[in-house]
Amino acid sequence: MEDIAKDTLVKASQGDTQAFEEVYKASSSFVYNVAFRVVNNREDASEVAQEVFMIIYHKLKTFRFESSFKTWVYRITANYAINYAKKNSRSKTVPFEEAYGEGAVESEVHAKMDQDHRGQLVEKLLGELNPDQRACVVLRDIQGLSYEEIAQALNININTVRSRLKRSRERLLSLRGSIDYEKV
Amino acid sequence: MKKCDGFRDLILTDYIDGELDKDAVAGVEGHLLDCSDCRAFFKEVKTNGALPFQQAIRPPVPSELWSTIKQRIEDEKQGSFSLEDLIDKLRGLIVFPRIVPVFASLIVMFLAGSVTLNTIQVQQAKDREQGEYLVSLLSSSGASLPADNNEGTTPIEHYFL
Repeated sequence: MEDIAKDTLVKASQGDTQAFEEVYKASSSFVYNVAFRVVNNREDASEVAQEVFMIIYHKLKTFRFESSFKTWVYRITANYAINYAKKNSRSKTVPFEEAYGEGAVESEVHAKMDQDHRGQLVEKLLGELNPDQRACVVLRDIQGLSYEEIAQALNININTVRSRLKRSRERLLSLRGSIDYEKV
Repeated sequence: MKKCDGFRDLILTDYIDGELDKDAVAGVEGHLLDCSDCRAFFKEVKTNGALPFQQAIRPPVPSELWSTIKQRIEDEKQGSFSLEDLIDKLRGLIVFPRIVPVFASLIVMFLAGSVTLNTIQVQQAKDREQGEYLVSLLSSSGASLPADNNEGTTPIEHYFL
């Protein structure tokens, strides 16, 4: 997530839409991607990201700069996505047209096949974990957060981060026989 | 095997995630050189437990997301306040005094009031006592209150003189 100037945050907290757009631009990739991986489908990810940004917009006026803005956004996003995933535990597959666009050229499709395969594999593997474990794996392996940052974002002990990652990876290793990594 | 269990715990978490200090890393790597089972385990964790996610593609943010958010913000600004805004406004209007200063003020006021009341009561009792004493003097001397004339001295004047 990109850094945001304090001045921009202050303006956004006072209701300046242009400043809030700057906040959005700097954090939307993180928010959307975490939402997407935790809820594990695009439709719900948009809904989650929208709600997360509305929460940020409303709560920004109470943000006191005592903690890092990034950590604050990590926390709001991860918690909202986890709760959403727990309430709506369903998995949807993305239709071909939605993923590539209608009338996609064959060469483009081939170029995206590898990406698609990897994308489906990630979705399948994440689908095997519970929302709490999924959030840890997403924040660590996809977003590259440290254990300390994950602990702060999820408001849990650093050893809980360790144990969730350990259990997640043990679970993923136990799937070796049931998931064909080449054909997913 | 017990030794391997400890290393495998580290391989599953801190080692693969780069959370170990130099000495601990050297310890794990020393063990990996000696133990082929743990080497295979490490390869397995890396390939199937972490790599698929580390190589995951980050889907682009849908272009319509910002326009939807912006529209919601503008709708809120134009009329309907959110419940949070309403609470914030009410908070600004109503001042909730803090309980400790209020309690302390009440105690001080109570003490000051009781001291004042006590002083007044003592003063009233003294006045009443003095009045009663004078009345008893008058009655014991057989004197009566003077008539409205200026002849002679009254018993009170006589007492003080």
